[in-house]
Amino acid sequence: MQTEEKYDDLTALFAAQDDALHSDAFVDRVMRPIHKRARWRGPLLFGAGGLGVGAAISQMGGLLDAVNGRVASLNLSFSQVQTPALETLSGDTLWAAAILIVVVSCAAIVATERA
Amino acid sequence: MKSDIDLARDAASGKEAAFEALVRRHQGTIRGMTRRLARHAAEADDIAQVTFLTAWRKIGSYRGGSFKAWLCTIAYREFLQVRRKQKPEVEFDEGAHIIAFDASAARMAEHLDLDRALKTLPENQRICVVLCVASGLSHSEATAATGFPLGTVKSHVNRGVVALRKQLADEDVA
Repeated sequence: MQTEEKYDDLTALFAAQDDALHSDAFVDRVMRPIHKRARWRGPLLFGAGGLGVGAAISQMGGLLDAVNGRVASLNLSFSQVQTPALETLSGDTLWAAAILIVVVSCAAIVATERA
Repeated sequence: MKSDIDLARDAASGKEAAFEALVRRHQGTIRGMTRRLARHAAEADDIAQVTFLTAWRKIGSYRGGSFKAWLCTIAYREFLQVRRKQKPEVEFDEGAHIIAFDASAARMAEHLDLDRALKTLPENQRICVVLCVASGLSHSEATAATGFPLGTVKSHVNRGVVALRKQLADEDVA
């Protein structure tokens, strides 16, 4: 069986061809889209993160109210407990929160795509 | 000088400069490989560019070993994808090639002979010769890249090398 070292003469010929192909223009061609994407990546990631944090904070008050309402209702009567605590949040707020979560998720996916 | 593995690790953590160093280091091998597999130089450079962009995206999945073999595997798969989308083309026009590159420089003639000899090999033989002889992959690495059985790779390489040498010797005599 022939070993892998027995074609060094041909490998040297091919290597000479490969050396002649080195060019800065090709490196620029590869790196340009990577640099371009990276310029957007940071602001987008921080922006998306900021939106997520903002959305979470904006819901804190409502959630606390909901929890407080729940605790208070437990202290009252059985019939009052049957009222879902989340009903204390308005429909608009819930929709806004859901849309924000979707936007943040999509932005995070886009931002973590590398090129 | 940093090793490929160190640079790949830095690139995986988002350092573009590290990846640029890898591109600079391996561009010759990948562009040479794609030029030997593809039909045209422009198409070959497109495949080479896509190869590096894919490598940048997937660099987190590089688990050590030969970085060149990892890149060559990506390049080979990108080449297969491009080829699947293409219609069959008319056979290599030897005459046109001679006219286009009829330079007097001995080096150019040598490259031309090598390219011409390579183009005459059956495709699978050419693929194995390009990967193992031109790009420097081991038989096992070429097996992993192509999916050909190890014995088939060895056989293609051995036959291809014999055919290449014969052609180059014949052209020297002529």
